[in-house]
Amino acid sequence: MDRMEIFINTVKIVVIFLMMIQVVPLLVWVERRGSAFIQHRFGPNRVGPLGLLQLLADAVKFINKEEFVPAASNRVLFYLAPILALLPGMLAVLAIPFSTPFGIPSFEFMGSSYGPYTLQVQGAEIPLGIIYIFGVSSLAAYPVLLAGWASSNKYSLMGGLRASAQTISYELGLGMSVVGVMMLYGTFHLNDMIAAQEGLLAFRFFGNEINLPFLPNWGIFFQPIGFILFFVCIFAESNRLPFDLPEAEAELVAGFHTEYSGFKMLMFYIGEYGHMIVGSALVVIFYFGGYHIPYVSEAGLTSFVSQYFTGEYLVPFLVSFIYLHVFILKLALFLWIFVWVRWSLPRFRYDQLMSLGWKTLLPWSIFNMILTTVFIYAANAA
Amino acid sequence: MTEAISFYLIQFIILASALAVVLVPNPIYSAISLAVSMTGIAALFFSLEAYFIAGVQLVVYAGAVMVLFVMVVMLFDLKKEKRAFSRGTLSRVLKTTLSVLIFSMIAGALSMSFSELGSGDSIAKEDITRSIKELSALLYTKYVFAFEALAILLVMVIVGAIALAKAKGGTHAK
Repeated sequence: MDRMEIFINTVKIVVIFLMMIQVVPLLVWVERRGSAFIQHRFGPNRVGPLGLLQLLADAVKFINKEEFVPAASNRVLFYLAPILALLPGMLAVLAIPFSTPFGIPSFEFMGSSYGPYTLQVQGAEIPLGIIYIFGVSSLAAYPVLLAGWASSNKYSLMGGLRASAQTISYELGLGMSVVGVMMLYGTFHLNDMIAAQEGLLAFRFFGNEINLPFLPNWGIFFQPIGFILFFVCIFAESNRLPFDLPEAEAELVAGFHTEYSGFKMLMFYIGEYGHMIVGSALVVIFYFGGYHIPYVSEAGLTSFVSQYFTGEYLVPFLVSFIYLHVFILKLALFLWIFVWVRWSLPRFRYDQLMSLGWKTLLPWSIFNMILTTVFIYAANAA
Repeated sequence: MTEAISFYLIQFIILASALAVVLVPNPIYSAISLAVSMTGIAALFFSLEAYFIAGVQLVVYAGAVMVLFVMVVMLFDLKKEKRAFSRGTLSRVLKTTLSVLIFSMIAGALSMSFSELGSGDSIAKEDITRSIKELSALLYTKYVFAFEALAILLVMVIVGAIALAKAKGGTHAK
């Protein structure tokens, strides 16, 4: 690893972090316009075209708000909580593969030559991507808990306690629902999972090859139960309706961030949207073929691109560029479903969430695991 | 070079937070320091390329167990217990004896582990999925008794906790 590589990786990490931050205002806009669309209202439409400049106005408002710290609060933890809220989402996004790697030719810079490199469109290629992402995301309960306690406000404390109890009740179901995916692809590596979903639906059943060429080879056709369970769990993971009990505004004012205002509250928002982004990206990777285009193989796309462009480095770069946009398109679809669900479903009651986590999600995810085992056995039996 | 820097940085964080667990008087701070130290140990495993253990350390200890700890500590107002626990000759003698015993145990374990520390046949780092398969195969063949015994122990703990909570009425006490 030479100096240029370290430099490139640092830049990449910063770019991915900024990408996550910059998506947040857009998502807020989608959320507000989307809710207005669903509820038959107009939404923000005064500032700029389609109300898009509302984002800038919001940002200015967030920065200029009076900074307020409750007198009885624990100052250190009160300031620490919003900073910690940014971390889990940010660290998890780094492990998401957005596209195929492409090469950079060797070049001269400041008198010394570097390269050639292979650039991953991913913060870092982590061998056990899934476990890393789950490990980092499981730390997300701390900021909420600390914020709730440090505010020294009863509503905040209730929100924080709810958050930690919620974490415990859905996390098992979340982890177990993914076990089926890991067993199916036989890997923990996110890139390998995406590679396994290329092409058209084909599987082995008692030694017979079965081809269904009218469907893409996506995980959802092998793991429908796992998909539903996982999708429900990531709503709880990102603290959004119907599981936004830590901030249930009808009961707890604003839950754990009742005492937060201005930029500190914005950081909680960014954390929440970061979880949404990571959750949607994982759904795309596990169940919807990652960056692959249905009915188009990577070789097919490469030959299509090389009809119009030539170049040893240009063609893989363009293929990677197209795949990046396919991934972002799929990601945007699931982010929209997040918004859609938020404005369509009512909030669960607290005991309902607990019993859903322990009595429904966990048994069904274990059942899914057993079913997958039987499926894999049937596939390999002669 | 970079490995050495990251190692000493992580080492410093682990040691500092582990010391803070015992030295800080506020139980919430000490629970949080324990969580930081768990996360640091996970980072150390990560830099040793033991990704699976690092992830499990994060999910199980830092993510689940410590969240419960912090939550329970937050629920109590521990001022009286804290004072009762940190004063008095008897408790001082007990604490000193216990810490000497624990320290000598750790020192003994360390000195004994040096002799067993061979070059080791490290499982191929490049194929981590295979190494996890080998780990699980070992768990279900060679160490199956210990594994099942642990499972029974955990079930016992759960049943015991429920029995204790039921005996006092739990959350629905009158």
